[in-house]
Amino acid sequence: MAYEALDFYDIDSLLTDEERMIRDVVRDWVEERILPNIEDACREGVFPDEWRADIGEMGILGAPLKGYGCPGLSYTAYGLICQELERGDSGVRSFASVQGSLVMYPIWDFGSEEQKEKYLPRMASGELVGCFGLTEPDYGSNPGDMITKAEDKGDYFLLNGAKMWITNGTIADLAVVWAKLDGVIRGFIVEKGDEGFTAPEMKGKHSLKASITSELVFQDCKIPKDRILPDVKGLRGPFSCLNNARFGISWGAVGAAQSCFNSAKEYALSRIQFGHPIASFQLVQNKLSWMLREITKGQLLAYHLGKKKDDGTWIPEQISLAKMNNVDMALEIARMSRDIHGANGILDEYPVMRHMANLESVKTYEGTHDIHNLILGRHITGIQSFTREP
Amino acid sequence: MGVAVLLKQVPDTTAKISVSGSRVDESAITKWSISPYDEYALESAIALKESGVDELVAITCGPQRASKCLTEAASVGADRLIHILTDADFMDSCTLQSILSSAIQRSGCDIVLCGKQAADTNSGSTGPGVASLLGYSCVGSVTEISMDGSKISATRLGNTGLEKIEVGGPCVFTFDKGEVELRRPNVRGIMMAKKKPIESIGIEELGIEIGSPKTSLKSHVSPPEKPPGQKFEGAGSIEIVVSKLRDEANVI
Repeated sequence: MAYEALDFYDIDSLLTDEERMIRDVVRDWVEERILPNIEDACREGVFPDEWRADIGEMGILGAPLKGYGCPGLSYTAYGLICQELERGDSGVRSFASVQGSLVMYPIWDFGSEEQKEKYLPRMASGELVGCFGLTEPDYGSNPGDMITKAEDKGDYFLLNGAKMWITNGTIADLAVVWAKLDGVIRGFIVEKGDEGFTAPEMKGKHSLKASITSELVFQDCKIPKDRILPDVKGLRGPFSCLNNARFGISWGAVGAAQSCFNSAKEYALSRIQFGHPIASFQLVQNKLSWMLREITKGQLLAYHLGKKKDDGTWIPEQISLAKMNNVDMALEIARMSRDIHGANGILDEYPVMRHMANLESVKTYEGTHDIHNLILGRHITGIQSFTREP
Repeated sequence: MGVAVLLKQVPDTTAKISVSGSRVDESAITKWSISPYDEYALESAIALKESGVDELVAITCGPQRASKCLTEAASVGADRLIHILTDADFMDSCTLQSILSSAIQRSGCDIVLCGKQAADTNSGSTGPGVASLLGYSCVGSVTEISMDGSKISATRLGNTGLEKIEVGGPCVFTFDKGEVELRRPNVRGIMMAKKKPIESIGIEELGIEIGSPKTSLKSHVSPPEKPPGQKFEGAGSIEIVVSKLRDEANVI
């Protein structure tokens, strides 16, 4: 039977025709290409190259960016794309988030004209893959104290340091790397093959198994002078990228939750215990109704935030709330759905345990759940509590 | 030379169909799609356009919701979109053929592609009927066509193997499912499609005479429910299972 995404409050009726069409193209692609192959990809720990090519061909990368071969869609359309990709798998959505929000966006907003011309059209078509180097082994939630540094050597910049937990790292053709130049955080574009740059893959993940995660190592890495992003200094650079990616995640989490809800509903209706479908038992209905309630709230948060992104009235704290809430509810729904599936829930025949394991990463990356709470705490009280320093 | 493709919007083949009163309850159908054989016709029409046909015209006849077929066609390359608007819940085949023929004449196309039958009615009469009214040739159940100078060659499965057929002059081709992979619209196509106007035309504006329909729809009924499965346990039931597989299911 056709996949019917949960839409209890008829968000569908608020979308434009193009938004619905774009969503359906991505939804059908996920149905045809991701769902039949995702378990194999996870088992092998690969992100199949055909997926990159297809995503590029659909023209959904860098969705809200305008010009330079980018689609120029609404933030709602971008959110819907993330929702459908993550209904397939968080790893697939991660690929698109990193490419669009974390690499294309900073080049588009802070890059020179030459950098935009050089990279954006080929990234929008999926020909070039990008990765984003901010987190370091010892600096995750606290990127401001990063160690990676750049030195101006006259003819070139010299990069030294290491980044960790970098999605797409090993398969990337270019990396936007944040490093300190004379103590100030700046963005640099490092290309695959640059002297002194390697990107070994991190193995052994129990989560996002169909997504490539890597270290980026810079050992006297020489890059030409025209590879610095000229128009941004300080943490504002990486944080503005993260705002866009986190917005996409707030929609993506809805997709993962819809997938888990659907699977739980179908399973509960067909699984007979004590002579009746388990969907007829009150405890199971309570769980399903909780899922419906949380997904509906999450959809409304994401939809309204999309409108605010489009009209420019948003503040970063609103993105923190949506990312934190929606990933939290999606993870809880994945766990609950696994519970409804009983022992069957641990099998790869059902998507729930995979979503559950993925969402553990999604809860932590792009600002941990706790850090988003602190961002909101600061917003409410005016008192920052990230650090003991005044 | 222009090519017209006829697209019918039908309930998606995965949609749940329910009957309310004596009619299919359309409001309960959550997904409407281009009829699958028509999608193969559309794919071939795009390929013809890529090989040099001047204009690709997509034509549909149906209620307002059917315009989605046309936008989808535009998103993969249709140049002109014609929607014959009607709210009729049932249309006699002859009436439909007259309407479509008139729309094709309006489009000026002498090559017409459509599915060999629609996924909802399966009547298979549209292609041949339109060809007969227009005085065009008709080649049925083709899987591939290509332009060869001023001629078009088509491939179809005959009773002894693949048949290659060559046609000169105006012709209707009806399409079967082929090996060809259907292209998926991309975002750029969708954004372009949104700018493409749809010529919406009421049946009365076509200026054709439609005789009184010879057939009418009396009622829809749901197919009977499948009988429940039977369960056999233990070695003692082997004989009866074997006899059922052999005599009732005819699988061994």
